[in-house]
Amino acid sequence: MRDEHAPLLLAALALALLPFALDVAGLPLRSAIDVVVFAIACMGLNVLLGHTGLVSFGHGAWFGLSAYAAALSQRYWFPEAIVLPFLFAIVFVAAGALLSGALILRRRGVYFSLLTLALTALLFTIGYRWTELTGGESGLGGVTRSSVLGLDLDSDRVYYWAVAAIGMAICYFLWRFHRSPAGSVLVAIRENEERARFLGYPTNRYKLIGFVLSASVVAIAGALSVFNHRFASAEPLAVAFSGELVAMVVIGGMRSFLGPALGALFFILFREFLSIWTPHWLFYFGLLFVGFIVFSPTGLVGVAGRVLAPFRKHTIEAAAMAGRRIAENAKLPQIYRRDAASEAPVLLARGLIKRFGGIHAVDGIDFMVKDRTLHALIGPNGAGKTTAFNLLSGLFPPDAGQIELAGRSIAGLKPEDITTAGVGRSFQITNLFGGLSAKENLRLAVQARSAKRFAMWATAEGVDDINKETTELVAFVGLTGMERAEAASLSYGGQRLLDMGLAIATRPRILLLDEPLAGLAAAERTRIASLLSIIATEIPVLLVEHDIDRVFQIADHVTVMNDGKVLIDGTVEDARNDAKVREVYIGSGAAALAAKPRVSAAGTTPILVVDRVDTFYGKSHILNSVSLDVREHEILALLGRNGAGKSTLLKTVIGIAPPAAGAIRLQGEDTAGFASAEIARRGIGYVPQGRGLFAGMSVADNLALGRLKRMTGAGIHWSDERIASYFPRLTDRWYAPADYLSGGEQQMLAVARALAGDVRVLLLDEPFEGLSPAVTEELFEAFDRLRYDVAIIIVDHHLDLALALSDRTVVLERGSVTWTGPSHALRDDLALRRKVLWM
Amino acid sequence: MQLVFILEQVLNGLLVGAYYLLIALGLSLIFALGGVVNLAHGGFYAIGAYLAVILADRIGFAGALVASPLAVGLIGIAIERLLFRRFYRSDPILSLLLTFGLAMIIEQALRIVFGAAPLPFSIPSELRGQIFIGDFIYSRYRLVILGVAVAAVTATWFIVYRTAFGRVVRAGVQNPDVVGALGISLAPYMTAIAALGVGLAGLAGVLLAPIAGVHPAMGAEILTAAFVVVVIGGLGSFWGVIAASVLVGVVRGITIYFNPSWGEASMYLLMALVLLVRPRGLFGERIQRFE
Repeated sequence: MRDEHAPLLLAALALALLPFALDVAGLPLRSAIDVVVFAIACMGLNVLLGHTGLVSFGHGAWFGLSAYAAALSQRYWFPEAIVLPFLFAIVFVAAGALLSGALILRRRGVYFSLLTLALTALLFTIGYRWTELTGGESGLGGVTRSSVLGLDLDSDRVYYWAVAAIGMAICYFLWRFHRSPAGSVLVAIRENEERARFLGYPTNRYKLIGFVLSASVVAIAGALSVFNHRFASAEPLAVAFSGELVAMVVIGGMRSFLGPALGALFFILFREFLSIWTPHWLFYFGLLFVGFIVFSPTGLVGVAGRVLAPFRKHTIEAAAMAGRRIAENAKLPQIYRRDAASEAPVLLARGLIKRFGGIHAVDGIDFMVKDRTLHALIGPNGAGKTTAFNLLSGLFPPDAGQIELAGRSIAGLKPEDITTAGVGRSFQITNLFGGLSAKENLRLAVQARSAKRFAMWATAEGVDDINKETTELVAFVGLTGMERAEAASLSYGGQRLLDMGLAIATRPRILLLDEPLAGLAAAERTRIASLLSIIATEIPVLLVEHDIDRVFQIADHVTVMNDGKVLIDGTVEDARNDAKVREVYIGSGAAALAAKPRVSAAGTTPILVVDRVDTFYGKSHILNSVSLDVREHEILALLGRNGAGKSTLLKTVIGIAPPAAGAIRLQGEDTAGFASAEIARRGIGYVPQGRGLFAGMSVADNLALGRLKRMTGAGIHWSDERIASYFPRLTDRWYAPADYLSGGEQQMLAVARALAGDVRVLLLDEPFEGLSPAVTEELFEAFDRLRYDVAIIIVDHHLDLALALSDRTVVLERGSVTWTGPSHALRDDLALRRKVLWM
Repeated sequence: MQLVFILEQVLNGLLVGAYYLLIALGLSLIFALGGVVNLAHGGFYAIGAYLAVILADRIGFAGALVASPLAVGLIGIAIERLLFRRFYRSDPILSLLLTFGLAMIIEQALRIVFGAAPLPFSIPSELRGQIFIGDFIYSRYRLVILGVAVAAVTATWFIVYRTAFGRVVRAGVQNPDVVGALGISLAPYMTAIAALGVGLAGLAGVLLAPIAGVHPAMGAEILTAAFVVVVIGGLGSFWGVIAASVLVGVVRGITIYFNPSWGEASMYLLMALVLLVRPRGLFGERIQRFE
C-alpha cells in the first residue's frame, strides 16, 4: 500500500519544501509558483504524451486560452473576483477542447501532432491580431488577486500555498485517474489501439476524454499563471511555448507519473540560472532536449533509473512457460456460458466479396455457423481465410455481401461495435498490449464488458467482479503463475494463449480464432484442442487452423476455402473424402506436372551453407539453430506449416531478418550480419512472398533496378536477352507498369528482377501463390530449366509442385529442422509425407 | 476591373501556393523515404534566407540564389548522417520530438548569430518594378519567384520520376526491404533526398527573404502553413501536395481580396473542412504506418 502512494507523498513533500529550497537558491517565491504551475501543465500534457502516446505540440493553446479567458472574464464579467474567472476559464477551455478534439482526433499518428501545432498557430494569430479584445502585442494587464474565504491571495506567500494545494489536488486526481478503468484504457490505446478496438473499446471516445482532461488540467495551470503574473498575453499560444512544455515532459520523463513535474522544476532552474550567464539559454535547453531524445528518451527519471539500477533488487518475472500451473479439467467460466442453444444460425455470411487491387482475396463466399459447434475454416495459404475473418470482425468492410450475427446485420460496422455485438476474435499474428503484463492484458479485455469501463475515479484493479473474472480466465487458458510477466516477453506459445484469452474475455456470441495452435508444443496442442472443444459446447467457435489432422478430430463442421471461394461446406467426412479438397490441400499426388520425371542437375559442392542460425523478431524466437546446405545447381524445397519459419529463413539468408547467432556461408564467405544489399551483391536473388514489385514502374524499370548494383561478376550474368529466353511473355509487356500485368506475368517479373544482374542462388517464397494452372506450369518449367544456371531454394505450399521440382527437402517445424532428405521419398510415399509434414 | 483584381489575387495565391509547395515538397520527400516528419524544415528555410542576406552582398542575388540552397543542402547532409539516420526505424514519435528540438536550436542559433531583430533585405534592383499586360499590373519580382519555384518543382519532378536516381527513391518509398534485396543500399539515397528536400526549403528562403522579411521565427511561421498543406494533400503524395498547395494558396488569395483579416484563418478553416469531409486528406493517405 505504501508503494502505491509513494508518488503522492513525494509530491506533497516537494510542494512543502519547494519555496524554502528555491529561497536558499536565491530565487523569488514567484519562481516557486511558476514551478508548480508548469508542473501542473506538464502533468496534464503527459496524460496524452506519456499515457496515451499522442504527441501534442499545441498544448500551449489551452494554457494561453485559459489565461485570456480568466483575465477577460475578470475584467468584463466578474470584476475583482478570482474563483469565478478561474472556473470560467477551465470550463471555457474544456468546451473548446471538446470541439477541437472531436475534429483533430479524426487523424492519427503524425497528423494528430501536425494538427495540434496548426491549432495553436491559428490561435496565436488570432490572439496577436485581435487587438481590441486581447491587447495584441501589449497584452492584458490589470489582473487582480482578491481575498477568498479570508485568505489574502494578494500576498505571494499565501498564493503559493493556494497554488500548491491545487497542485496537490490535481496530483491526487490524476493519480486516481491513471489507476482508473478509463485511465487504463488510455494506456491500452498507447500500447495497441487496434487491439483495444477489437476488445470493444470505442477508442476515439477514450482519446477524446483524455484530450479534454489533458487540456483542462493545462487550463488550470494557465489560469493560475495569469493570476501569478497578473498579466495575459499571446506568448503561451506561440508554438515555442508548446514546444517548451513538451521538452519539459520529455526531459523529466514521460513514462513516469511525476517525471513531468521534475521536468518543470528542471526547466525553471535551468532558465533562472542560465539566463544570468547568457540571454541564449533556450539554445542550450534545445541542445539538452535533443540530447535526451537521442540518448535517453525516458528522460531524467530514466537516467536516474539506470544509475540506481545496480543498487536495486531485481525481481525478474518468469516469462518461461515452465513457471506456470495448469488447472486440470478446466471448465469454461460460468459468465461465458448461455442457458440454451439457439436453433437459428449464430453467424451467417452471404456473398462476401473483398478485393485488394485487382486480386479477389474473398470472392463471394457463403456459409453459416450454428450455435454450439466447432466450425473449422480451412484451406491452403492465400485461400482468403484470414481476409474472411477480417471482414467478419470489421477490420475492413466487405466490398459486397451480408453478415448477420444472430439475425442482426453487422457488415461494415466498426470493429468495436462488432465486438460489442458479440464477435470475439484472436489474431494470426499475435496482437497484444506488449508492454503490459499478461494479467493486465486480460483485465483490460474483461473490463471492456464492465459497466465501470468509463469510470474515472474507481481503481481499475480494485473492481471485484473484473478481478474474479480475470483470475478465472487466466486459469482457464492456462497462464496461472505467469500473470505478471510482460506480454511481449512471453514465449510465442504463451502469447498465442493470451491472444485467445483476450478473445474469450469479450464474452462473445461467437469466437473467431485464427490459428490458435500455431507455435505450440505437441502436448500443449492437445490441451488447447480439448479446450476448444470445451468452449464450443457453450460458444460457437469458427476456427482457422493448418493442423488438418487435429481439425478433423475436433471439428463439427468444415468449410474449405480455396482462391477466395468456398470449395466445400459440410461435415468432416465430406471434407476428408472430397477429391477437390485433397487436391488443393494435401496434393493430388497425380498432377500431370508432378508425374513427369525431372532430371537433377545438383552437384556435390555446397554453394550456400546455413550453420546453426538463430533469428528473432523482437523477443520472438523464430529460427532455432537451423542448419542446411544448398549445392550447386540444386533445387532445395523448404517445407513446413504456416509459422514454421520458412519465410524467415529466406529473409535471414538475404539479410532482411539478420540472424542473432550462427553463420551463413556463401561459397565459403560468412555473410551473417551483412546488410541485405551487401549479400545481394554477392549473387543472391530473392523473390519475396507477394512479389514485392514496384507499382507504377514498367517491366524495364523493375529489371533495371535489379541490375543497377548487381553487375558484380558473382554468378551468371542475366542480360535482358537471357531473361527473355526464360520469360518471353515479359518482352511483350516491356513498357507496361508492373501493377497492370496479370498475376502470372507479375510473378515472372518478380523472378526476372531477382535474377537481373549477376546471380548464383535464387530464393523463391511462394512463387506459385494465386496462379492459374496454365501459368503455374509455365513457371514450373522455367524453374526446371533454371537449375542449370543457379541453385534454388523454394518455399511453397503446393507440395506436389515443390516436391516434383526439388532434389532435396528440408522440413521446418516451429523454427527447427525436423527432417532432411531426398524429395522423391516424400513425393512417392504419402504415409511418410503425412508423418513429416503433419498433414 | 473587378475581374482583374480577382485575377491578381489568384496569382498572388498561386505565388503563396508555390512557396508553400517548395517547403511541403521537401517535407514530403523526406517523410516518404525515411518516415521522419521534419519539424525543423522551417528552420532550414530560415537559414536559407539568412545566408541569402549574407551572400547577396558578396556575390550578388543571383549567386546567393544558387549558393544558399546548396549550403543549406550541405547542412541537411550533416543532419541526416548524424541524427535522422538513427530514427528511421524507430517510433515516429521520437523523430517528431527530435526534429522539434532541432527547430528550437536553429531558431535560437539564428538569434544568437544575427540578433532578434529582422534583417533588412530588399528586392534586388534589377528585379524591381511592375509588368503591365493590358489592365493587369503585377510585380516583376513576384513573377520571378513564381518562375523559379515552378522550375524547381519541375526539376524535382524530373529527378523523382524520370531518372535512375528517382527510380530507386520511388522503389525505396514502396518497399525498402526489396530494394535492399536487389543489392541497392538506400543510405546514400536517403542522404541525397534529405539534402534535396532541405535545399528546396533553403531556396524558398532565398526567394522569400526580400518580401517576407528575415527574422528568426520565420521558419516556424511558414512551417505551420506547410503542415496545413500536407494535412490536406497527404504527406506521402507528390501530386496531393501540389494540388493542396495551389488550393490553399488560391483560397487564401481570394479570401484576402474579400476580407484581408481572414486571410490567415482561411487556410485553417479550409483544413478543418477537409478534415470533416475527407478525414484522410484530399487524396487519402497511402502510408499506413504513420496514421
